[in-house]
Amino acid sequence: MNKKYIFLAVLMLVLAFGTVFFKETNRPKETPPEQLLWDIIRPNRYVTTDQVAKMIIQGDPSLEIIDVRNDDEYSRFSLPGAINIPLDSLLNRNNLLYFGVPGINVVFIANDDIASDKAWVLTKRLGFNGTYVMKGGLNRWMETIINPKEPSVEESSKAMATYEFRKGAMMYFTGAKAGSLETGSATVTIKRRKKTSAVAGGC
Amino acid sequence: MAGIAVVLAIIVAGIIIFSRPLLSYKEDMHASLEDLNNKDALFYPWQLNDLLKNNMKNVVLFDIRNDYDFSHGHIPGAENIQARDLTKRDFIKRLRKLKGNNTTVVLYGDDQLQANGPWMLFRQVGFNNVKILPGGYQYYVKHQDDLAATKTDSSYMEGIPGCDYAKEAAPKDGSVLRESTEQKPVVILRRKKTTAVSGGC
Repeated sequence: MNKKYIFLAVLMLVLAFGTVFFKETNRPKETPPEQLLWDIIRPNRYVTTDQVAKMIIQGDPSLEIIDVRNDDEYSRFSLPGAINIPLDSLLNRNNLLYFGVPGINVVFIANDDIASDKAWVLTKRLGFNGTYVMKGGLNRWMETIINPKEPSVEESSKAMATYEFRKGAMMYFTGAKAGSLETGSATVTIKRRKKTSAVAGGC
Repeated sequence: MAGIAVVLAIIVAGIIIFSRPLLSYKEDMHASLEDLNNKDALFYPWQLNDLLKNNMKNVVLFDIRNDYDFSHGHIPGAENIQARDLTKRDFIKRLRKLKGNNTTVVLYGDDQLQANGPWMLFRQVGFNNVKILPGGYQYYVKHQDDLAATKTDSSYMEGIPGCDYAKEAAPKDGSVLRESTEQKPVVILRRKKTTAVSGGC
C-alpha cells in the first residue's frame, strides 16, 4: 500500500468527522462586520411613513410592523396590526422567529427612528434580510399622516398629491369623517345565501 | 511526499489569511444589546463645551456627513470622514491607533440616526472608545452658542414622544375610534422550525 493513499484516506476521514460538529440550524449566518458596515452606510433600509400608511391601507400581506418600544407605550398607542417586541427582548428565541420569514417585510417602529435602527442593526448582524426602519418613527407619523400640512400654492403638484394621500390616510387611521355630518346611523343588513343542503357549500 | 507538504502548506496559509479579517466581533449579541444602554457610550452635547473650551487632548471628533455639508459648517476641530470611507482599511487602522493611546472617538452625523449604525458596529467589534453625539450636528447647531446650558435639556435624547399619540390620533370630530383598528385579528407568520431539535427554548 502506498503511504500517500493511507495518509489521504485518514485526512478525508478526519475532515468528514469534522462535519459532525456542524450544527444544523435554519438560522441565517452571522453577517461579517465589514459586510454589516457596508449595509449600515447604505440608506435603503429606511421606509417613509407614507409608504407604511399605504401598505396598511392596502392591506399588504407582506407587511409585519414590529413596535420596539416598551409594552406600556405600545398598549397606549401603536399602528394597526403592529406586534410589540421591546428592544430589550429582541434576542429572545421566540421573538427571533418573526424574522427571516420568506415574503415578509418587517418594519420596525418606535417613537423616533433610533431604537428601530438599533433593532435593524442587531437583526442584520444575525443575518436576517427583509427588515426595514420607519424613518422618523411615530413622531413623524403624527406630523405627516395624522396632522398633514397643506402645501402652499407654489409647491409642486407632487407635494399636493402627497397631501391628498395623507388626508385620506388620516381619515382612514383616525376614523374621522370627511366633512359630512352623517354619523353612520344607517344599519347595513347583510343577507347571506342560505345553504340548500349540508353538502352544497363545502369548498 | 513533497507534493502533499506543499498542498498542506497552502491550505494552512489560506486558513491563516482568511481567518484574520480586518474586523471581528468582540461583543456577542447579548453584550451588544446591553451596550446600547451604556451611558458611557454617549458623548453629550454639553461635553462639547468642555472639549471646545479646554481643548481636551484625548478626544477626536469625526464628522461622517459628506464633504459638501462638512464644508458648509462643522463642529470646530472635527475631522471629516464620509460614511462610505468608514469601511476603509486606513480608517480602521486609525481607530486601532486611537484606541491604543486611549483617545475617545466621537462620531456624529447630521442627526443621531446617521451615526447610529457605524457607532454600534465599531463598539461591537471592540472599539469601546467610540462614542456617539446624541442629537447630531443639527442639535449642536441650534445650541452652539450655549452648549453648557444643554446639560439641563434632554430633548436631544432619543425615543421621546413628540406628543400624546393616542390623543393626537383620536378622531378629529370627536367620534369614537373605529373598533376595527383595535380588534383586527393579527395573523402572525413565524418562521417554521426545521426540526424539533433545532430550536427548543
